[in-house]
This record gives sequence, structure tokens and C-alpha cells, in this order.
Amino acid sequence: MSAPFRNEPLLELRRASVRDELRGALAALDARLPLEVPVAIGGERRHAPVLDSVDPGRPERVVARATVATGADVDAAVAIAAQAVGAWRDAPAGERAAVLARAAGELRGRRRELAALCVREVGKPWPEADADVAEAIDFLEFYGRQAVALEARAELEQLPGERNTLRHRGRGVAAVIAPWNFPLAIATGMTAAALAAGNAALLKPAEQSPGCALALAQALERAGLPAGLFALLPGAGEVGAALVRHPGVHTIAFTGSGAVGLEIVERAARVAPGQRHLKRVVAEMGGKNCTLVDRDADLDDAVPALLASAFGYAGQKCSATARALVHERLHAPLLERLRGALDTLSVGPADDFASDLGPLIEADARDRVEGALRDAAAAGARVDRTVGELPDDGWFVAPAVVAGAPADGAVVRAELFGPVLSVEPVRGMEEACDRVDEQSYALTGGLFSRDPRTIELVSRRTPVGNLYVNRGTTGAMVARQPFGGNRLSGTGTKAGGPDYLLQFIEPVVICENTVRHGLTFG
Amino acid sequence: MTEVRSRGGRARGLGRLGGRRYLHRMSALDGEIAVWGRRLAGPARPSARDRATALLSRDPALRAALFRVVDVAPACDGPGELADHLAAYLEEAARPRGGGAPAGSDAGSRLAPVLAAAGARVAGSRAGRVPAGVAARLAVRATARRFIAGATPAAAAPELGRLWSAGIASTVDLLGEATVTAAEGRAYAARCADALDTLAATAARWPPAPLLEADAAGPLPRASLSVKVTALTPLVRPAAPERGRADAADALRDLLRRARDHGAHLHVDMESLDARELVLELALELLSEREFRDGPSAGIVVQAYLRDSEQQVDRVLAWARAADRSASLTVRLVKGAYWDQETIEALHRGWTPPVWSRKGDSDRCFERIVPRLLAAFPAVRTAVATHNLRSVAHAIVAARRAGLAPADLELQVLRGLGDELAAALAAERLRVRAYCPVGDLVAGMAYLVRRLLENTANDSFLATRATGAALDRLLEAP
Ligand SMILES: Cc1cc2nc3c(=O)[nH]c(=O)nc-3n(C[C@H](O)[C@H](O)[C@H](O)COP(=O)(O)OP(=O)(O)OC[C@H]3O[C@@H](n4cnc5c(N)ncnc54)[C@H](O)[C@@H]3O)c2cc1C
Repeated sequence: MSAPFRNEPLLELRRASVRDELRGALAALDARLPLEVPVAIGGERRHAPVLDSVDPGRPERVVARATVATGADVDAAVAIAAQAVGAWRDAPAGERAAVLARAAGELRGRRRELAALCVREVGKPWPEADADVAEAIDFLEFYGRQAVALEARAELEQLPGERNTLRHRGRGVAAVIAPWNFPLAIATGMTAAALAAGNAALLKPAEQSPGCALALAQALERAGLPAGLFALLPGAGEVGAALVRHPGVHTIAFTGSGAVGLEIVERAARVAPGQRHLKRVVAEMGGKNCTLVDRDADLDDAVPALLASAFGYAGQKCSATARALVHERLHAPLLERLRGALDTLSVGPADDFASDLGPLIEADARDRVEGALRDAAAAGARVDRTVGELPDDGWFVAPAVVAGAPADGAVVRAELFGPVLSVEPVRGMEEACDRVDEQSYALTGGLFSRDPRTIELVSRRTPVGNLYVNRGTTGAMVARQPFGGNRLSGTGTKAGGPDYLLQFIEPVVICENTVRHGLTFG
Repeated sequence: MTEVRSRGGRARGLGRLGGRRYLHRMSALDGEIAVWGRRLAGPARPSARDRATALLSRDPALRAALFRVVDVAPACDGPGELADHLAAYLEEAARPRGGGAPAGSDAGSRLAPVLAAAGARVAGSRAGRVPAGVAARLAVRATARRFIAGATPAAAAPELGRLWSAGIASTVDLLGEATVTAAEGRAYAARCADALDTLAATAARWPPAPLLEADAAGPLPRASLSVKVTALTPLVRPAAPERGRADAADALRDLLRRARDHGAHLHVDMESLDARELVLELALELLSEREFRDGPSAGIVVQAYLRDSEQQVDRVLAWARAADRSASLTVRLVKGAYWDQETIEALHRGWTPPVWSRKGDSDRCFERIVPRLLAAFPAVRTAVATHNLRSVAHAIVAARRAGLAPADLELQVLRGLGDELAAALAAERLRVRAYCPVGDLVAGMAYLVRRLLENTANDSFLATRATGAALDRLLEAP
């Protein structure tokens, strides 16, 4: 039917003409700000904007004004979705995939504008903003195809006289609670998976990024998604909590902090009066990711990869490297080169192609990072920061390399979600594996080594969901590196992988007796 | 790599047909080129080195294992550590690769049993381990010596003098680790400055060699240094070339001044496409500055493997025409050294590769560019840098047809890869220059691996030649 899946090409930002197009798209977007984001349920829109998202690099610039969903909105959205989902669930997967492919086409048509929107609304530098849009497109294309493949899967044993069928049926209504750090990609990914598998999806975007969520709502609408199957429910934590509590919600797909994730898991386990099913939770939570550097590593590769993994998008990716565990022989030279490299980084507005790091998402985030660095320094750690002026406005933070941070302090233990890299010596890779093993997080990991046996050792011992060898730890690609963490980092599901849709599926097995008067007709 | 391999296979298949094609009448131009190619070709009998090259190009798994040894050698502390790596690589080479390579594919080495035994021997006993490591180390050093002229410019000076006496000019390239800090950029700049001083002092003592010292455009410097802009600055940002340009400008300007004061040549090498805008714009911008109107002698590089290389030539020729300079600009024409990297990066990001996908396209593009550069003489001096006999012979014939004297075309080779070709060119009284990398083993590692890969890549002229392919076929029009 459709062409095999291929990742959406990234924009070739090294070409001056491409950069000019993006600058043009940003200027056009700026002229339209702020965007107005309604509550959208079943083709109806309610406008009563009260919640502003702002440019974290220039907080007086309002990017979107969102209407906040009420308890009544949530009830209405669930009720309408429950009505609409039956026909959608029963439609051939190919039809659902076609809608998602059209939605992908809508995003593709707005590629530059949406990258500009990511730049503005969450302070993402251009390369990452572009990748965000491309990944959203990937999810729509990929999960649609996966649903078709799932429908075609014939995996049961058959004997004469009986016909065994396994149907993959959508579970019902899915609540999608999305983060701001991949404002388009992750919201789209979880939504697309739910829809592809035959569910309705009610999206509660992060309060920092309702504008990006609106783009997804528009794409699905223009793609002809039947009304009621998708709702846009902007707001803060209460909206998410209302969805999680709601007895009509079957599946909760969440990406965000560990604290909220655990709360969701707990709440979702309670069966509300009138609820006739168990809720399933798909949760992607935090990480405190380590990159191991063995003694035979090539620092020419390791240094740039560490910089990109720790400081890309100012460290605000769940896949970011927060700790480098370095063989003692390379610890000093690596540290020296990292410190020197800090000064090559430029912290500035996300819309400037020359910026390596943009701002953090909000003032609290900045204060949390600065506080952790102060504590580490007070405890005797050496903290090196990028020197140079930071913009006065906005939540900018100078990236930091920390040596000798206390083992029980925030720099080593907590997910800071900021541009901080702790560098720690280890006697060897076994010891490094022990340190990783002490952690309750297990999302991504990195390894620099040129010894196949070390690579095998670490692959065997690592608890993480995604291990990257001799490269950075960020930038997982749909279908190539299915992504998701283990332990307290997540429910072990792999977004962008072959099994992800199963989370949104209720399997039904039908066994039909095909013997009639001693004759079999099947 | 798989792709390269399969293409190589096809190329060999076509080669047999090519032999028949050769019997047809060839154009007068191709005839002349074939004559020159045969004149320059060395002995028909493959050397021991050729046989090793041929073996490696036929056995990708073994080739990978050996390159990994070379790659990791400088990072190993002592022969024991290197032996451990060697054993692991041999073990891996003996196994068909994971990642779903179908059974019976040639992903594993053809020498699998031999390698497995060797790996086991290296790994097995303490007694065997250290000698194996020592041997591997010696082998890596010997390989390095073949490609690297010395650890410092002073150490390389005698070799440069020997080349000069043999009628071969040189240009020095300082190998180094990647520049990730400002201090590393400054250290590289300082090494370049020292190198210019040393080279100028050394070259002043060389005997006269008229062919190498002037062409119709004027005198040619004896001392020459090739520099890499990405080693001068840690601010190479593909999406923000202006950052690196601003950062490297002062250092490059200082080197241009120093080259001018010494009467030396400064050549700005070209690297991967990610840095092209930075490198080319910076070089041309500085050379347009008033103070460099009359010198130094300087050059840039055009890579014919890029699909848009002819537009680059337009850009450079337009600049040369418009520039208010009395000194000419040397353009080194190469095919390009980053083919695998550019192709893989494009594949990963969904881009149309910026490089041609077929080797013949690069060769043809190269031949299209040569006459355009030659036509711009003397504003532009052309330096044709290739080890491909067909490409060299084509340039020689094109220069003659353009009415240029032999000295007006420069031919360049890499030391260690093109030594025989350089000698043959010098014997024909053609003007040739050897590109001589200088640096220690650690610094030279990346360079070494690149040269070895190139030398044994299936599509490479040298590897094809080493397998004993018929010379006539290799000299055919691409
Ligand atoms: C003196 C000197 C200076 C050099 N300086 C530079 C420099 O500044 N920058 C730089 O990038 N390189 C430089 N090179 C290297 C050069 O670009 C080539 O890599 C090398 O010379 C091999 O090319 P060839 O013409 O000698 O051999 P050939 O065997 O004829 O050609 C090999 C080349 O063909 C191209 N090729 C291989 N496979 C394919 C394919 N499937 N499709 C299309 N093209 C393919 C590649 O460019 C490859 O290097 C230099 C080379 C020399 C001799």
C-alpha cells in the first residue's frame, strides 16, 4: 500500500539558503503571535484565554494564550470520545493510517513555521527544533504503518476444524499527557500511537507549550480525523489529574518527571466507582544518564559527543548525559579538554544560529540548576562555567563541568534538566558499571571504547533502555533507535519501536469451530 | 561500506566489458592520454606492497581489523594492551558480523580460520601476548613512517631536501588532534608559524631547481605549508560558519603575513562539506585584503566529488577575475577525501548525498574542471592532486592543448601513496609536489587510517592497479 517507512529528512542547515528560509518563517510567525489556543472537543472550540506561554529567552514575548480546560471539559471530551471510538476502532487499520499520513503531510507543509514555533515557545535552537518537527512527522508515518502490520499479523497455530484469530483492538480512550521539551514530537508520538491502534486520544499538553499542541490539533483536523477522536485540553496539572482519575479513560500515556509519573501510576491503579476496566499506564520518566569513557577512548570523538549530549538544548532532554564516568588514565586530560571546550560554547537566543545553547524553560529551572551548582561548590567540588555574557533577559544558564561533586549531592544524584556535566574518575569499566547499577534511573547510557570486549561487557551489564556506543546519547531516531527507559525511568516501552502500539491494544482471541456434521468448512 | 563494496564488485564486472570497448576507436584526446598514462606507469609487476593492498581490498573484514589496530595503537599503553585489542579485532574479523548479515555472505573474513587461530594465539598466553603487541606496534610505526615525513618540520627537513634533489617540491601538513579548545587552536597556529620559519630556513639551503621555482606566472616559493582551518578554531559550526570565520581570521591572517614575509606558499586545505562555507569564504575574504595584494602565494582546494563543485569553480574563478591582486591564486583540484563520511551522514539525515554516488562521476567531473582552471592561468595556477594515472595524464594533455608550458601545471601526490608517480613525473620533467604530513604517531592516527582506507577502497585507482588490472583499461575515459 504505502512506501516503506523512511525518516523524514532533516533540514540541511549548513546551507545558507535553508537558514534564510527559516529566518523568514520566524519573522512571519512573530507577526502572528500570540497564537490563541482553545479547548477543542468534538469539533467545538471554546475560547477563554488565561494561560500564557512565553518565549523563555524573552519572557515578555507571549507566544500563545491558551484556554484552560475545566472538569466539565474533561468529562465532555471523554464522553464524546467514548461515542466516537467504536467506529474508529472497527475501521481497517489502513484507513486510520491514511488519516495519520495526511496529518503528517499537514505538518510537513508547515515544516519551517513549526520549527520556528518550537524555537519561540520552548527556546529550542534551530537544529533541535527542526528535528522535533521531523520526529513528529516520523511518528505519524511510523505508527500508521505499524497498525497496518499489526492487523496483518497471523501468529496463532491453526489445526483442522478450528479457526483461530487474534484481533488487536484499541483499548478505548487514551489520555495523553505530554511534556514541553519535545513539544511537538512527543505529544504527536503518543497521540499518533493511540489513534493508530484504534483509540481516541485526549491531549493535555504541557502548560509551557500549548502553541505547539495546537499545530497537532490542526493537522489532525485537516487530515479528516473524525470529530471526537481527538481533544485538545490545555491546562496545568489539574487537567492531567482529572484525566487520570476519570473512570472513562482506559490508557494513560505520559512523558514527564518521575514524581508525576509515579503519582499517575498510583492513581491509575485505583478503580473508580463505575469503572469496568484496569487502566494501563505508559510512562516515560527521567534519567540521570552516564557516559562511560574507557582508557582506549578517542578523546577527539568523546569530547564533542559529551558536549553535545550534556549541553544540547541546554541539557533539557531526558536522554542527556549528566555524568561522565572516566577511566582514571584519561580523567585529567578529558577534564582539561572539556573545561577548555566550555569556553567555545555560546549561550544566546535560540533563534540565533550562532547559539549553542538557548535558555532554560523557566525561572524555576534556572534556580534549581544554579542552586545545585552552588551546593556542589560549597561541598568542595570544582565547578567550571562557560565565561562570557549571558543575555540579561530570559532564563539563561552558563553550562558547567563539575569535578569532585559529592556523591550524594544533586549534581550526581538528581535529574537537573540543565547544562551540567559531572565528571568522575573510575578505575575501570567494571567499576563504572557498578556506579550505573546503583542508580534507580535507567534511561540512556553512553560508552566510548575501542575494545569489542568492553563493548560487550557494558552491553551485558547496563540496565539502561538505550545504550549508545562511540557516539552521543541523544537524538534517537524513530524506527532506528526505539526509545525508552527501564527501572524508575519508565515502563520499559519503546517509543518509535515495533511493540509500542501493543500498549494501546486489547487483544481478543476468537476461536471458531469449523466442523459441522463431521465436515470442516474452514 | 557495504555499498562501496558492492559497487566495487560491479565495477570489476564492467571492467571486463571495458576491455572490449577499448578495442573500438578512441578519440584522439583519449589516445594521447593513454600514451601519457603508459609513459608514467611504473613497473607492470605488482610489488609486495601491492599484493598486500590487493589482499586487503578483497577482504573487508581483515581490512577493518587491521585499521582498527592502527587506529587504537596510539591510545594503548604498552604492547599488552595493544595485543588485547588485536586479539579482539581478529576474533571479530573471523566471525561473520552480527546485525543480521545473512549466513554465507562475505561479511566475515575469507581468512576466518587463520584469523581465529591468530586471535586465540595472541589472547591465549601471556608469553604470546607481549611479542604480538610489540610486533603490532612496530608494524603500525612502519606504516606511519611510510606516510608521515617526521615528527616535526625539523625532523622532516632532510626528507624534504631529498625530495627537492629528486626534482620534487613539497608542501608540509601538520597533523594534530582535533581542535576542541581555543588553546588547541592557538597551539596549532603556533606550530604552523614555527613550521613556516623552519621550512623557509631549510629551503633557502637547497640547490637551484629551475623547473620547480618559476612558471610563466612568476616565481614559485620553495617552502610551502598546507593548513587546516578547522584546526585553527574550535568554533566550526555548520549552521553558523560566521563564528569560525571570525575566530580563525586573525590566526590565518598572521600565517599569511608570515608566509609573505618568508616568501613561502600557504595552502588552505579543504575538509568536509560541513566546514566548506567557513573555509572557502574565510580564505577568499582574507586574500582580498589590501595587505595581501601582492602576496603571499596562496591556494585553496576544489573537490570534484561534490555535485556542486562546478558552481564552486564558478565562484572561485569569478573571485579571481574580480580580485585586485597581483599574486595568482593556486587552486588544488582533488576528488575529495571524505566520501564515506559525506555519504553516511547524508544517509542518516535523509539528504541527497552532496557527493556523486558513482566513482566515474567524480572522475568525469574532475576532467570537466581541469580545462576550466587551466584557462584561467595565470590569474589561477592549477595544481592537479591525484594518484589516478588517467586523471594525471588527462591533466597533462589538457595543459598542452591549452598551450601551457610544462611548468605551468602543477601535479601533486601524497607522500607514501604517490611516490612512484612523483618520481615518474619528475623524470618527465613535469612539475610535481609531494604533500608531506608531519607529526607524531598520536597526532597522525586519523590521517593514517584515512590514507589506508583510501588506498584499499575498492573503487580506488591504486587498489585497482594493485590487483593487477590491465593498464589500458585503467587509462580509459571514465
Ligand atoms: C596532494 C594532495 C592533496 C590533497 N588535499 C586534499 C584536500 O585538501 N581535501 C580533500 O578533501 N582531499 C585532498 N586530497 C585527497 C583526494 O581528495 C583524494 O581522496 C585522493 O587523492 C584519492 O583520489 P585519486 O584521484 O588519487 O584516486 P582515485 O582512485 O581516482 O579516486 C578516489 C576518489 O574518488 C572518489 N570516490 C570514491 N568512491 C566514489 C564513489 N562511489 N562515487 C563518487 N566518488 C567516489 C573519492 O573522492 C575518492 O577519494 C589530496 C590529495 C593529494 C594527492
